[in-house]
Amino acid sequence: MSPPSAGRRRTPRDEMAEATAHGGLYLRRLVRAQLTLSLLALVAFAGILGSLPLLLFLAPALRHVSVLGLPLPIFLVGFPLFPLFVGLGLIYQRRADALDEAFRDLVGR
Amino acid sequence: MTVALIAVSVVTIGTLGLGTWAVRFARTTSDLFVASRAITPWWNAAAVSGEYLSAASFLGIAGLAMKMGMDAIWLSVGFAAGYLTLLLFVAAPLRRFGSFTISDFVEARLGSPRMRLLAAAIVLGIAGFYLVPQLKGAGITLGEVTGAPYWVGVVVVGVIVAVNVGLGGMRGITYVQAVQFWIKTFAIALPACLLLIYLGGLPHRAALFGADVPRAPAHGLVVKLDSSKTVTFQRATDYRIDGVPRHARAGEKVTLPPGRLVLPAGAAVPLGSGAEKGPGVVWARPVGHGGRDGPLFVYSLLIATVLGTMGLPHILVRFYTNPDGPAARRTTVRVLGLLGIFYLFPTAYGLLGRVLAPGLYVTGETDSVVLRLPHLAWPGAPGNLLSALTAAGAFAAFLSTASGLLVSIAGTLSYDVWGRVTGTAHSTHGRRLRFRVCAVAGMVIPVLIALAASGLDIGVLVGWAFALAASSFCPMFLLGIWWPRLSARGAASGMIAGATVASVGIFAGLIAGENVGGALGALLSQPAVVSVPIAFLTMIGVSLLDSANQLDAAPAMLALHAPEGLGLEQLAEKPAPAEPAPV
Repeated sequence: MSPPSAGRRRTPRDEMAEATAHGGLYLRRLVRAQLTLSLLALVAFAGILGSLPLLLFLAPALRHVSVLGLPLPIFLVGFPLFPLFVGLGLIYQRRADALDEAFRDLVGR
Repeated sequence: MTVALIAVSVVTIGTLGLGTWAVRFARTTSDLFVASRAITPWWNAAAVSGEYLSAASFLGIAGLAMKMGMDAIWLSVGFAAGYLTLLLFVAAPLRRFGSFTISDFVEARLGSPRMRLLAAAIVLGIAGFYLVPQLKGAGITLGEVTGAPYWVGVVVVGVIVAVNVGLGGMRGITYVQAVQFWIKTFAIALPACLLLIYLGGLPHRAALFGADVPRAPAHGLVVKLDSSKTVTFQRATDYRIDGVPRHARAGEKVTLPPGRLVLPAGAAVPLGSGAEKGPGVVWARPVGHGGRDGPLFVYSLLIATVLGTMGLPHILVRFYTNPDGPAARRTTVRVLGLLGIFYLFPTAYGLLGRVLAPGLYVTGETDSVVLRLPHLAWPGAPGNLLSALTAAGAFAAFLSTASGLLVSIAGTLSYDVWGRVTGTAHSTHGRRLRFRVCAVAGMVIPVLIALAASGLDIGVLVGWAFALAASSFCPMFLLGIWWPRLSARGAASGMIAGATVASVGIFAGLIAGENVGGALGALLSQPAVVSVPIAFLTMIGVSLLDSANQLDAAPAMLALHAPEGLGLEQLAEKPAPAEPAPV
């Protein structure tokens, strides 16, 4: 951001407060960045979750692979997805908080 | 089963007592909420999970898995994954916006008070759909524990929850809900682990369901039939009813009269309606070839659960206790972790049930497999103790969920419907009385439906509630939060279109029953894959055509997305503070 000029100091926050076109732009940029992040995470999430039924449908041979006496597909659906959701959620949470923080830095000073 | 009765009573009295005690200390709603805002994300996450884990998770998934096969474990996955979409798109903005009932959000974001009534109608539909399976769970659990008829449990729990909610107990009590989560997780995990160890571990036990159809155990199988049941015999079988010998050919459909059915050792167990007819290999596949367990059905189920969670009224209210947006995100990530632990276990009951509780296939009451499995698998005191534990956990599950749902129903009825129609919504006079009347009235219809719906599976009923939420509130939230151009008319048309298509599908499926197979059968049993896109497209299309009536969404966008700590919150025209249910 431009350094504070001598005399009156206007921050982007003031511009938002006065609902200027500039202020609106800052917010729109933040919303777009957050939405992009969420959509990226959604694509990763839907890609993994969505390909699993297709994989099991297209590769019926997996059914005859036995783990601990049970067919492998039961384990593929029943276990690994849960930690994966947590991992994705954690990554998303860090990034989203960072975007908020960057906005705060940009606008608040 | 005295132990089980004691365990259930302790959970019930403990929950109600703790809730009432906590409410006494927090005299007014604002005290209650302000006090609770100091709660850490872990407590909040346990509370959200506690409110969420219902009879469907505790009893329904295992029951459906046993009956229809392993495609039911997608329910576990979808129920947990719903919080990931909630995290990505809804948690933080909704916390910042400060509206925690769906009606408040709709009115504040779309600037149309009339939309409240529509939102209220859909809230009532979803909460009602969701309440019925809780009551059904209560009916079968009390039946297992005391031998009482089904209707006794439904009515008793219906009355307990209605009176408790009406008196103001168990509301907004984060700590009670958090403890409930751990009770439920303990109650499902411990028996599952101990049983697997006792039975000699998974490989040994799993070999039993193998490639075959369910069979009577070595000492034969006795099933008491309270009413006549239509079953299909898988193999040619000699059996006795009340001592009279009979014979059925392979594949024969027989209506068994009420009485004592006795099957000799090793006989193939006849299957009631809805059960997967194939052998173990077919039963054990999470995705089948087509029809009701094909990929289309699985995707539709995943869409309903992944998108429906954000539209559940009793869950969103819970996010109020997060102090800010980032805390809402942290809470939701922890919810994903906690639910991930819980959802590992229902599958185990479904798997073991096929081998150890085959009698449930005859009656079709596989929903009680979690309750019955421990003492069937492990005869004697240990099994009875574990059964008592699962019964207590099941009670915790439907007490907490049913209370949360009834609070939503009563709040919506008393404030949005009664208050608006008579024009007394904002007057505090008589508000408490109105809420109480609505709490009792709101329970009547779900109880009646639950009494009629004893034959429907819990997991199926809850799947419909999710389909309805995913086709109405999910698009409204996603577009309302992220797309400034969503108009009131667009949102209304989309919600009506989505909810209508979903309901028509569900009711058509209910009437047509099992007669419709293939893709159509899959769509009728889970319409979300059709109804959700219809809702989205209608909302977007009508909003674009409606651009003349655009409301300036900038203040709402500011309130939804501006990070805290900049003082921008005060600038956005805040919606009227959320109306918490009166205590």
